[in-house]
Formats: sequence, structure tokens, C-alpha cells
Amino acid sequence: MDMEQFWGNLAVMLGALSGFLYGGPRYLQPKKPLYASMIVLGITSLMLGRLYQCVRIAAGFPETDGFQIGMLGVAGASSFFFSSNYSQIDSLVDDGGPAFRRYRRIALLGPLLAILLYLPLAFGPQSVGSKASQAVLTVFLAAAFYFHVKHLLIPDVDYGVVRCLRHFNALALALGGFLMVEMAADAYGNKLLLLAVRMVITALAAAVVPVMDRGVKAWRT
Amino acid sequence: MENLTIILFLCVSIPILPVIFLLPDQKSRQFLGFLLGGTTVCLISSEVNDLLLAAFGNDLLYVTTNITPVSEEILKAIPILFYAEAVSDDRNMILANSFAMGLGFALLENLVILTRNISTVSIAWAFARGMGAALMHSTCTSLVGLGISYVRKRRKLFYCGTFSLLITAITYHAIFNTLIQSHLRVWAFVLPALLSLLQLWMRFGWMRMTKS
Repeated sequence: MDMEQFWGNLAVMLGALSGFLYGGPRYLQPKKPLYASMIVLGITSLMLGRLYQCVRIAAGFPETDGFQIGMLGVAGASSFFFSSNYSQIDSLVDDGGPAFRRYRRIALLGPLLAILLYLPLAFGPQSVGSKASQAVLTVFLAAAFYFHVKHLLIPDVDYGVVRCLRHFNALALALGGFLMVEMAADAYGNKLLLLAVRMVITALAAAVVPVMDRGVKAWRT
Repeated sequence: MENLTIILFLCVSIPILPVIFLLPDQKSRQFLGFLLGGTTVCLISSEVNDLLLAAFGNDLLYVTTNITPVSEEILKAIPILFYAEAVSDDRNMILANSFAMGLGFALLENLVILTRNISTVSIAWAFARGMGAALMHSTCTSLVGLGISYVRKRRKLFYCGTFSLLITAITYHAIFNTLIQSHLRVWAFVLPALLSLLQLWMRFGWMRMTKS
């Protein structure tokens, strides 16, 4: 059993679990803001992905080359973060007109950051299958990054929603970035970096939901 | 396709089929219809899984823990999506029918596994497998059904939300499949049971909240 991988994934799972336990009773109910429910589900997805990794290692099943379900934890979290910003919030702050074109262009720095973080993976020692799977994950993260960056910068003159959620978007962007660094550290077998990055990811996974909750409360009062 | 799977499918579906038409109300007819739909999807997925197994070099462990959760969740979601688009996007109906779909799928799947392992099964196996698989399949399909219920009302949310929920359901399904094939198989019963208790708590917590 690969104990380093097991404990590392378990730590991240517990961080995400604490986010789920904080947000689940508050937001996974009817008549609660769907935006917040989706963020909680995103963290739940990350938690399930890591739980899968822990279960696979504990069961003694070998690590597979290329696609494996554990990756879907990151894909699910990014997908939920993207969905919440795109389908719930973005239309409140951006009418698609020329006034906000500048912010839409600047927000492209988000996907660019994802591409830059993928470069070490693209030239890494892992197999083509793993590189392809990581490229797909990068697409998910890049989509989420676009809205995180956009909602960090865009002025919110009408509703004040995005202003309240800026801390959350900054944390979610950092979480996504560190998830990509984790992939690179794992690919290159840098155990020290992997340990450090997983500690940061654990803290961020635990903090994302409470910070979002504070933002949602500020916006609703 | 193995004849045995078809025989089991016929054994389950033939008694259900006439009852659907005899039931007095539409909700019950739909529930039973989706239960039958679940067994049909299970039959189709057994064929699809055989093809996938061949495509991945007959690596049964890899396919059952990484590939079949994807194919099965997608196949189960298709009839729910069709129902939501063509018949009704009422959330309660979609969730009830999603549960029935998952239940029907688990019913035939359990029968197939039972007959393949007839010499080793026990009452404990039946209890754990019956509860675990039924709860897992029902929860996964209803999770996807929740996203599908937005198909007509909010398109943006439907596309992104359903996809995200599908990913979550696939991951949960894969955890179950990994647990059930390992020495940790008792957790394959505990995990769905815990999640169902959580669902119950959330449901009754919400009912209490709306009453007060």
C-alpha cells in the first residue's frame, strides 16, 4: 500500500469533508441559494474523488496509467465552480455589452494561467494517456479560472453580489492552481513538493465553503 | 449477450408489464414503467460493458472500477432526459422516476450477479448487495435527475449542472464498485446506507423547517 499517497489523499479528503459538513446542512436544502449549493457540491465532488483514491489504495488495487475515476473529483469541483459562476452570477454583472469587454479580455488570464501550469505536465515523464487526461482536467480548470478571474475584477455596480464573493473566487482560483501544481509534483515524483502542496490544498478545501458562506450572507443582508 | 441475462430480464419484466396498464393513477404507472426501464437499461448496459471490456483488453478490475460507472450512469440518465424533455419537467416526478430507474437497474444487476455466484452467496451477501446496490444506483440516478429537471426552465444550469452532477454520481458509483470487489466490501453497504440516512435527515429536516 502506497502510504504517502493514501495519507496525502486522506488529508485532502478530510479538508473537503469539513467543507461539506459546514456547507451541507446550510445549503443542500430547497429554497437556499443555488449558487452556494453548487459550491458545496463542488467540494463534495473533490471529497468523493479523494475518497475514491483512498479506497483504491486501501483495497490494494493498482494505480492505473491514463484515465482513472479519481481525476473526476477535480473535474467535478471545477465543473461545479464554473457552473455556479456561469449560470447563476455572471448574467447579473455582465450584460455582454461593450462596457465590460475589457474585463472579459482580462479574464482570459485565468485560462492562460491554467495553460502555463499545464506546460510542466506536457513535458513531464508520464505516459501519453496520463498527459491527455491531465489536459482534459486543465480544460475544466481553465473554464473555472476564467470566471474566478473575471469575478475578481469586474465592477459590480447594480447588485453587489460579486463584490461579496471576491474572497471566495480568490480562494477557489488558488485551490485550482494548487491542484494543478499537485498534478505536476506527482508526475515528477517530487515528494516534498507534493506533501507541501497537499497541505495547502487541504487548508483551501476546508476554507472555500466557509468563505463562500460569509460572502453569501453579506450579499443577502 | 448471455442468454441467462435475457431470461432474468424476461422473468422480471413480464410480470411488471401488464401491471403498468392496470394501475389506476399516472404516477404509479410512471414509477413502475421506470422500474421496468431500469431493468431494460441494465440489459443494454451488460452488452455495452461486454464491448468495453473487450476494448480495454479484458482488464475486468480496471473496467468495473473506472469505465462501467461512466457508461452505466450515462445510460441510466438518457431515459430520464427524454422524459424531462418530452413529457414533464416536474422535479418531484423526475426524482421519483429516477429512483425507480436506479432501483430497476439494481434489481436486474443483483439477479445477474446472484446467478453467476450461486455457490458462494449467503443471506448476508443478499442483504448487503441488495441494500447497497439499490441505494447506490437510486441515489446516483436521482442526483443526475436533479440536474435534468432544469432542462426546460434554465438551459445554462441544465447543461453545466447535469454534467457536474453526472461526474459526482460516476465517482460515487466507482467508489461503490471498488469497495464491493475488495476486502472492504462491508463498507459497500455502510456507505450507501449512511448517504441514504443523510438524505432522510435532510428531507425531514426540511419538512420540519417548512412546518415551523
